[in-house]
Amino acid sequence: MGKTETMKRFKGSMLIAIAVMIFGALVLPGAQAHAVSSAALSIVPKKNYTIEPGKSVNDTLTIRNLDAERDLELSLRVVDFTFTDDGGTPKLMLDEDAPRTAWSLKPFLSVPKAVKVAPNGSETVDMSVSIPSNQGAGSFYSAIVYSSGASDGGNVGLSASGVTLVFTTIPGEVNEDLQLRQFGAYHLNKRQYKYFNTSAPDALAYTLKNNGNVTAAPVGTITLKYMFGKEQDINNVNPNQSLALIGQERTFTACIKLKTQDVEFYDGRSRSTSCTTPTLWPGYYSLKMNLFYGQNGNRTQEVTGAGGFWYLPWWFIIAFIVAIAAVAYYSSKTYRAIQAKLYGGKPKRKSRRR
Amino acid sequence: MHHRLIRAHKLVHALHYAGPEALLSMVLAIMVFASPASAAMRFQERSLYMLSTEPGVTTSYTVSFQYMSQLSVGSVDLLFCDDPIPYHPCATPPGMSVANAELAEQAGETGFSITQKSANHLVMSRPLQMVTANAPSSYTFTNIKNPTNNDISFSIRLRSHASQNATGPQIDFGSVKGQTQTGITIQTQVPPMLIFCLAQEVAYNCTGTNDIYYSNMGELSPNSTLTARSQMAVGTNASGGFAITANGGSVSAGTSVIDGSPVPIESRPGTNQFGLNLVANTSPVVGENPEGEYANAVASPDYSIPDKYKFVDGDIVAFSPNVSLMKKYTVSYILNSRADLPPGVYSTTINYIATGRF
Repeated sequence: MGKTETMKRFKGSMLIAIAVMIFGALVLPGAQAHAVSSAALSIVPKKNYTIEPGKSVNDTLTIRNLDAERDLELSLRVVDFTFTDDGGTPKLMLDEDAPRTAWSLKPFLSVPKAVKVAPNGSETVDMSVSIPSNQGAGSFYSAIVYSSGASDGGNVGLSASGVTLVFTTIPGEVNEDLQLRQFGAYHLNKRQYKYFNTSAPDALAYTLKNNGNVTAAPVGTITLKYMFGKEQDINNVNPNQSLALIGQERTFTACIKLKTQDVEFYDGRSRSTSCTTPTLWPGYYSLKMNLFYGQNGNRTQEVTGAGGFWYLPWWFIIAFIVAIAAVAYYSSKTYRAIQAKLYGGKPKRKSRRR
Repeated sequence: MHHRLIRAHKLVHALHYAGPEALLSMVLAIMVFASPASAAMRFQERSLYMLSTEPGVTTSYTVSFQYMSQLSVGSVDLLFCDDPIPYHPCATPPGMSVANAELAEQAGETGFSITQKSANHLVMSRPLQMVTANAPSSYTFTNIKNPTNNDISFSIRLRSHASQNATGPQIDFGSVKGQTQTGITIQTQVPPMLIFCLAQEVAYNCTGTNDIYYSNMGELSPNSTLTARSQMAVGTNASGGFAITANGGSVSAGTSVIDGSPVPIESRPGTNQFGLNLVANTSPVVGENPEGEYANAVASPDYSIPDKYKFVDGDIVAFSPNVSLMKKYTVSYILNSRADLPPGVYSTTINYIATGRF
């Protein structure tokens, strides 16, 4: 057999094999599907570091596999992120060729490429953040994405990923600049400011634009004052220590009535805070706000604001209209009665033309 | 009696017309005179530098500020509280102590020494002297024990007085803010964690799944809607809560594509449509409402309308703004096709990403 004939037979076999594969893929889409890994994991959601230029931090990431039968095989990679909206959900830049952000921690952050965790087990992997000595002060952040393998069958394949957000502050003189954009009563479920409220707002909120080169988490006080004088101070104006990312217009919420409770979570206690519906009297409420922010060694800066809102529930509006109508009716009746008494005869009535 | 009534009528008659004008005048007067007035001199260029921000360690603090009133100052009061507002009650930051503080350095307005100290209070005094410095003055205190709680910031409330014992009227005032940053673990509480699992079926607390990570929806037809479902459970004890995004492309076979609905709409057989939601539906019958008692973990508004389906790559499909115990979501998928859709195996992979929030 010559070389040419052998090549021809080889090519023919390859073509048949490819045809069979394509046919199989078309006709039997589900037959080859299989899971590549467990997709039940526990990770740490956030890491915070303060690192001086020229220094590094070595830390660990603990990953647990909650699946009792399958290994958890994860690939790790570092991606940049920014903000999605005025809330706290990160917008991950998952594209491989996504441009690096100005606040990227990618060049300084090292994590392993993959990790395998036995069923019901946990693994601790090393990570490090190294800051070059010539790096200027500011905030830097990126995300570590842990991805389980994707399924290779069916019409809808599923894969699960977890994310650890990593924030690093490099101390020094930084540019901090928060500008107040909005302040008032806020409805958490609608994520909306409202000046006239027919249902009691569950929170007060303030929106700050971060024009600086660092993330910022303000603290301070909001004073809520009822039109007839009763005052309430809200000292926990950033109960979740939320951050305004660089360039973000962030809405911070502070509960009018804060509910704090200890809850059991995976063999330990955790503190949970949430807003509950406050008891408010109908009427006008004025608001005063004093916020403070500033990184260690930098100027403590203040943001002050004033505002207000009306709380007028429907039952009150209806009762008020009925009361006004009753007062108007009886005033008019009294007025006409006096007029009749003075000038005699029956109270004047409007004449009706026929 | 008649005369009295006439007088009363004259009065009432006048008021009858004067009422609205009077009411309007009163409102305007309230608006003009009820404006808050304030006159206060605040220290400017205020800052605090903590040599170490480690919770609970003994370190030094440098407090800087610029005196604004060109008056004689005999003392400066420094009160260490959780809250920076001067007229609020002062709660001492847990673990903090300035009882052993020493004034190591001073610049600008000088001549001070510590004359009073307690766990959260220092008074610096000097012979009464006119303020002359035009730049910020700074004072470095050693032997200060940091607060142990790195969850919240603390403040130093500053006041200057003419008296030497920080009594009497204040001259300038202001606050500086500080916060410990790296952590000691509070042993009674578990460290922050994010739990997440995903499969065709999962247990409520992620302890088990059916290990199936795909759904075969059947054969496309312009007359019927194909459905499928998957489940995911999530929980976190992190104060910022969590968010789950759905990431993936359109359903496709080669170059033929069925796009996701960009807005929540009902299932429309006979059109090319792919969408999902996280609630129980009746048209078609598929899905379940989220399970779990924690009310703050919710499906996003666009993905929680029964019988309305949407899919946009990268959308947040569920979130919690703060701590949330386990919550289980059932994701329902629908797939519709036109009669002229080219034949093929239509598929997509959706990557659900669970993240903490900042």
